[in-house]
Amino acid sequence: MHEIVLKPEILGYFKSLPITNTLLVGWITIIVLALFSFVATRKVSLIPSGLQNLFELVIDFGYGTVEELSGEKRAKVFFPIVMTFFLFILVSNWMGLLPGFSTITFEHQPLLRSMNSDLNMTLALALISAFLTHTFAIHYLGILDYLKKWFSLNPIFLFVGFMEIVGEFTKIVSLSFRLFGNIFAGEVALLTIASIFAFVIPLPFYFLEIIVGFVQAAVFMMLTLVFMVLLSRKHEAH
Amino acid sequence: MDILNQFGVQPILLAAQVVNFLILLFILKRFMYKPLLKVLEERKRKIADGLKNAEEIERKLIETNEKMDLMITKASSEAQKIRDESRKEAAVFIEETKSKGEKIAADIIKKGGESLKLEKEKMEVEIRSSLSELVMVALQKVTGKTLSKKDEKEMIEKEIKKLS
Repeated sequence: MHEIVLKPEILGYFKSLPITNTLLVGWITIIVLALFSFVATRKVSLIPSGLQNLFELVIDFGYGTVEELSGEKRAKVFFPIVMTFFLFILVSNWMGLLPGFSTITFEHQPLLRSMNSDLNMTLALALISAFLTHTFAIHYLGILDYLKKWFSLNPIFLFVGFMEIVGEFTKIVSLSFRLFGNIFAGEVALLTIASIFAFVIPLPFYFLEIIVGFVQAAVFMMLTLVFMVLLSRKHEAH
Repeated sequence: MDILNQFGVQPILLAAQVVNFLILLFILKRFMYKPLLKVLEERKRKIADGLKNAEEIERKLIETNEKMDLMITKASSEAQKIRDESRKEAAVFIEETKSKGEKIAADIIKKGGESLKLEKEKMEVEIRSSLSELVMVALQKVTGKTLSKKDEKEMIEKEIKKLS
């Protein structure tokens, strides 16, 4: 059993890119999701069956939620991004619970580690979320209206605008650390429980982690969606 | 940025994850969202169409039923009319035939009566002639002589008159 470390373990280098175990899991997640989507939509039929049915359920629910919040026109733009956040985070979270994670070692390092127990990965997702949110805001509002959101000639509103800019950075921090913290804590909890007694007792914690994995994915998705909708909405006149 | 170091954050890893996300976004958009959203939309449309069609069919069914009821009542009233008419006609026909039959029967009876009368007269004439011959013979036997033709006739006629 290895000690608990915040940093992801580096398995090797590809040129100057360090291949960490979390990055590896990220790739596996992509492959798994890609395979699933290939299989699910290989023969799309009007009468759904098997995987198509399952993914239709997810897509339909996701699209319905996005449409409800953002309206039909923007839903077409927001939906793929938001849904990809959800699926990416959900699948990687649940994969992190599979046996073999943090037990199989490669050169004395765990080969696999739950993707979101690495701040690099969650911070990158949060940065993408923030970047896209602001890009959409500029796209929908125009650069002038966008800037008016933050800057004003009225000193009080200028101060409020400044606070909101700080808030934007806080969003990134909260998004990334919430996801990272939850999953990392779950990993630690599971490891600790398993090292105390490996049979039966970790089971409730696994169930808990399944729920946490889903909830965190949903939270990330919903927050991103809400930020996008709020920021690309026209500012009410003061 | 010491804290980021503690968490092992490296710009190149962030970039790698961004690339990951973009690849996944592309794959999912191309192979999952697009076909599935299309099929969902199509199904929605089909269901809407189906419901509309069902409504239409139901409306038509009601209409047809109403029409059918109307036709049945019309047909039955017509049938009633035809029946009444035919009954009336039949009554008239029976009446006519009856009167015609009666007339024919009367005619037959009348004719029968006439022919009977004729026959009777003919028979009478025959009887008379034969009777006269008989009387002649008898007379000859009684008188022992033959009367002249004239006398004979006179006598016979006289006798016959008396007889009749």
